Amino acid sequence: MTRMLFMQCKVEMLRIVRNPYYVFWSLLMPIVFYFIFTKIVNTGVDNAQAWHAHYLMSMTTFSVMGSSIMTVGIRMVQEQTLGWSVYMRITPLPGSVYFLSKMFGQTVMHLFSIIVIFTSGFLINGVRMSFAQWVGSGLWILVASIPFLALGTMFGSMKRVDTASGVSNVAYMLMAILGGMWMPIDSLPSVLQTIGKWLPSYNYGSGVWAIAAGDAPGLRPMLILAGYLLLFMVLSIYIRKKQEAV
Amino acid sequence: MENIAELKRVTKTYGGKTAVDDVSFVIPRGCVTAVLGPNGAGKTTTLSMMLGLREPSQGTVTLFGLSPKEAEVRRRIGAMLQEVSVIDGLKVHEVMAMIRSYYPKPLKLSEMADLAGFAPEELNKRASKLSGGQKRRLGFALAMAGDPDLLFFDEPTVGLDSMSRRAFWQQAQALARKGKTILFSTHYLQEAEDAADRILLFNKGKIAADGTPDEIVSRLTSRSVSFIADMDARLASSDMAVQLRAVPGVKDLREQDGRWIVTAEDTDTVLAAIFRHGIPARDIRTGQGRLEDAFELMLSEEGRGEAVS
Repeated sequence: MTRMLFMQCKVEMLRIVRNPYYVFWSLLMPIVFYFIFTKIVNTGVDNAQAWHAHYLMSMTTFSVMGSSIMTVGIRMVQEQTLGWSVYMRITPLPGSVYFLSKMFGQTVMHLFSIIVIFTSGFLINGVRMSFAQWVGSGLWILVASIPFLALGTMFGSMKRVDTASGVSNVAYMLMAILGGMWMPIDSLPSVLQTIGKWLPSYNYGSGVWAIAAGDAPGLRPMLILAGYLLLFMVLSIYIRKKQEAV
Repeated sequence: MENIAELKRVTKTYGGKTAVDDVSFVIPRGCVTAVLGPNGAGKTTTLSMMLGLREPSQGTVTLFGLSPKEAEVRRRIGAMLQEVSVIDGLKVHEVMAMIRSYYPKPLKLSEMADLAGFAPEELNKRASKLSGGQKRRLGFALAMAGDPDLLFFDEPTVGLDSMSRRAFWQQAQALARKGKTILFSTHYLQEAEDAADRILLFNKGKIAADGTPDEIVSRLTSRSVSFIADMDARLASSDMAVQLRAVPGVKDLREQDGRWIVTAEDTDTVLAAIFRHGIPARDIRTGQGRLEDAFELMLSEEGRGEAVS
């Protein structure tokens, strides 16, 4: 059992690293954005130090949210259309091990993304935080990504790769913008701000923005994210049960 | 003999259509069974239920006396499925190592490489970069990864050239000699006839015939007697035709290339009639239709709405 789990995790990580989209979307894009919005575009903020730390967290959450939603979901649809997931069902590999190792592989990749993006923030802008803040931010980004993994799994039940990648792309971008990951949420019209504050993306970000600013994440983002996790899980299980009924 | 697989009155309906209709059969150990039939006959649905991928609407399927979904069963089976492509992002040897790790007593990686006929450079290729034939060979090696007792091949040779096809059946036959139980589906009659000890002939979701290739042939084909008749004044060919047509079991009488051909259920009664009536026949031959012809016949008769047992 351990051998299976170990092998499966190794395989999943290999597959993620070898995917060129991972390197582009999860590492290159956020770092380039970070560079542009802290070095080239003059955002005219008063406290540059705080803005650099804040925006570093925005870009890291943007990266990890993206790979949670996109990689998991699209990969699952691909495996479905290639017949691979059917094949896995006739092997002795338990479905739970298969799923867990996917999530584990994904989480290890997220840890890697976090380390790379944090390091580039340190190198580009000399972002300084206490050790506890760095670790706390990293942990929050890792753990609070679980609702997005569940959302990715839900998109993973779609029939076609094109649909899944289209839908998850739109969801990803909308959530990133409305959740204040690209620009601070204060710069949005007030109606959009109200909506944005209820989105999982804003609550994902707000927890880690608080940590970076030296505060505690607060209960509200935790509760909202837990609610979304429950919602996505229930929906995802419901859709799968309905598909399996055939 | 131990029964490896058993289907009891299995029916599968989807969306109001009956894909498999009250099918029962037993597969004993060491038997190579062909599930033969035209497209849409219910072959793949039957295999899917045996693999635990689909639930029967009615009836039960057991492998090794257990539900096909049991982990114990999955450790003892291997399968090559239709429309299963290779996993992306992994090299061939990595895919093999991954699948091996699922089984308690897997084959060695080198044994799997030999089964697929892969050289070291092919093992280091990305699986998605293999050619169609190579992917199929990888699929075969993966099916063998756990050294299974029961193997399923769903249309294993579709799209293969005749040489690869022959190589595949040679490997399958070697496995059968080692006591593996093999079940394969095909719509190639020749394959069923050559490779199987037993044919389950499927048509419209039912088993239309079940037996050895020879039994199927004799059950479904008509036999024929042909001869050259030296007609003389004593017997006009029209009289001979009347006499032979009157023999019980005779289905057809025709003249072709100077030979008379009598198609009948039993060739012995035809011969007896030839001698009884003193028909001046020489160079008498008896023959039997091929399975191919029987198969076509069965399908066309089904098309006309006649039942074939």
